[in-house]
Amino acid sequence: MANLQFKALRKSFGDLEILHGIDLEIQDGEFIVFVGPSGCGKSTLLRCIAGLEEISSGELAIGGQPMNEVPPSKRGIAMVFQSYALYPHMTVAENMAFGLKLAGHSKGEIKAAVQKAAEILQIESLLDRRPKALSGGQRQRVAIGRAIVRKPGVFLFDEPLSNLDAGLRVQMRVELARLHKDLATTMVYVTHDQVEAMTLADRIVVINQGQIEQVGAPLELYHHPANRFVAGFIGSPKMNFLPCTLESATEAGARVRLEDGTVIVAGADARGLAEGTALTLGIRPERLLAETEAGEGTARTTVIVSEHLGDTVFLYVQSPGSTGQLTVKAKPENPLRTDDVTYLRFPTKHCLLFGPDSRTLPRLS
Amino acid sequence: MAIVIDKSQRWRVLLAHLFLIALCALVLFPVLMTVSISLRPGNFATGSLIPKEISLEHWRFALGLPVTNADGRVIIPDLPVLRWLWNSVKVASLSAAVAVLLSTTAAYAFSRMKFAGKKAALVGLMLMQMFPTILALIAIHSIFSRLGHTFPLVGIDSPWALVLAYSGGIALHIWTIKGFYETIPGEIEEAATVDGATPWQAFWRVLLPMALPILMVVFLLAFIGAVNEYPVASVLLRSQDQLTMAAGMKQFLYAQKYLWGDFAAAAILSGLPISIVFILVQRWMISGLTSGANKG
Repeated sequence: MANLQFKALRKSFGDLEILHGIDLEIQDGEFIVFVGPSGCGKSTLLRCIAGLEEISSGELAIGGQPMNEVPPSKRGIAMVFQSYALYPHMTVAENMAFGLKLAGHSKGEIKAAVQKAAEILQIESLLDRRPKALSGGQRQRVAIGRAIVRKPGVFLFDEPLSNLDAGLRVQMRVELARLHKDLATTMVYVTHDQVEAMTLADRIVVINQGQIEQVGAPLELYHHPANRFVAGFIGSPKMNFLPCTLESATEAGARVRLEDGTVIVAGADARGLAEGTALTLGIRPERLLAETEAGEGTARTTVIVSEHLGDTVFLYVQSPGSTGQLTVKAKPENPLRTDDVTYLRFPTKHCLLFGPDSRTLPRLS
Repeated sequence: MAIVIDKSQRWRVLLAHLFLIALCALVLFPVLMTVSISLRPGNFATGSLIPKEISLEHWRFALGLPVTNADGRVIIPDLPVLRWLWNSVKVASLSAAVAVLLSTTAAYAFSRMKFAGKKAALVGLMLMQMFPTILALIAIHSIFSRLGHTFPLVGIDSPWALVLAYSGGIALHIWTIKGFYETIPGEIEEAATVDGATPWQAFWRVLLPMALPILMVVFLLAFIGAVNEYPVASVLLRSQDQLTMAAGMKQFLYAQKYLWGDFAAAAILSGLPISIVFILVQRWMISGLTSGANKG
């Protein structure tokens, strides 16, 4: 059991700075997910926690103790690697016992701990096998088992599910959630898959280019993204973005003009900005409405492709007045098909506005 | 496996087989010839591959057994062939063991650790090993001659000197093992580190067991190299009973008389330890020791 604190943590490889000052506090027992695009520094941050990378400057504390100079084995952590990194020459039981053996525990203790972990993960029947004879999902369980037996204060997961096939990934995701509930240990989980982040996390840390963009509960990030990056990264399919210019702003909303001249009202407070400022309008695919008849504040465009998935229809439509493409997640009864003309409606309260600095303008409720 | 084969493929298969048979014949001929020479009476290097008459005189000579001549005289062999064989085995096993020990640890450093001058040291090792041994022969002789004044154990005419000299030639082995280490994902050792292993434990208990096949290959190569080595052995060893097989066999061939038959028998004997070591070692030279560590 342990909490984690980062203070202005930086990490450089040579002249290249990967992490530009990370400030973060993780509570004891929390499930934290670091999410971000490839190369954003999330894995490096995890490796800094593990002690596999030296911290260039700043401070890391686990359970209140500064850890910058403490070797990995003494940090009270356990790590599950993306590639599982099992010891191929040892049986499953030996793999899980390795850490305890090094720590000098008695044979009886080790056996009991391995047995218990194996029960939790339902791999008792595999204990005598070598990793070679296991499937991907089983290997992943062994890797998790190896972490559990050490009873760490913090679990570190480095994209643990990315090598599994889709079905197994969902299953393991559920099991990880259950495991966290049972163990109630702090878990730090790195992934680039925002679905994993949304489903597993107590709080998500969105990282981009070595900096924290936003920290918050999954739905908070979904509904109240701090900036355009978070808005685009969280949610699948992605949020739609349209360039627009500010016409006028009142306490009731901001009137913005899209590139094709359509004027719509967004529920955002743009009163501090000058008329004519270039803004970005953001709206989630399930909020954007594709209608067959023109109405007030609708933008005329055409459907490029329609995808019928049974319970939903995805309409990919031409962005009004530009070459971009928008996604509409529509109900199955929506009659629009490929090449049809459609009129897009932007409900005021679901329209986000991003300022010239990409920050989200305050929303009006 | 049942891929449909074009008819012209059959001719190509036939040609390939002919080529391979010819190649085998070419490779096997010297071996068979040596066996044949060792079994025929008299000391003739030429003659038919299948001896007209089988005689074990050369083998008796090589094994140190008394030989009865055609005129009824009994000759006691004057060259200690078995002793040479034993010397060869001793020097080769020891120097191969030392080579494996030094090169695995050195390769670990070169593959996993960060230190200044790593690249230069690696290239330097390679360059130095490229010069033929003959170039350094005089230097080696004088080094061991001087060493022998202070430490007679590693002086001229001592098998230990030879072991020491052979153990120096490990640059190639370091490169070989380093190449193998680099195919083993570093995450496995990192996992061991997180599990509480010291760098030595991670090396000894995790990396080394996975590297076993390549260590065996290096041991075998070093062993064969030491058994076959002639120049250094011929310079460092002098007295007859200290010689290795390679250096000693020269004594069958003196200007007045070439004892090809005895030479051939001894040559086959010297191949024995290599074959035995190969058979012993090959059960460890299995692939796939690292499989299962990763996603697979």
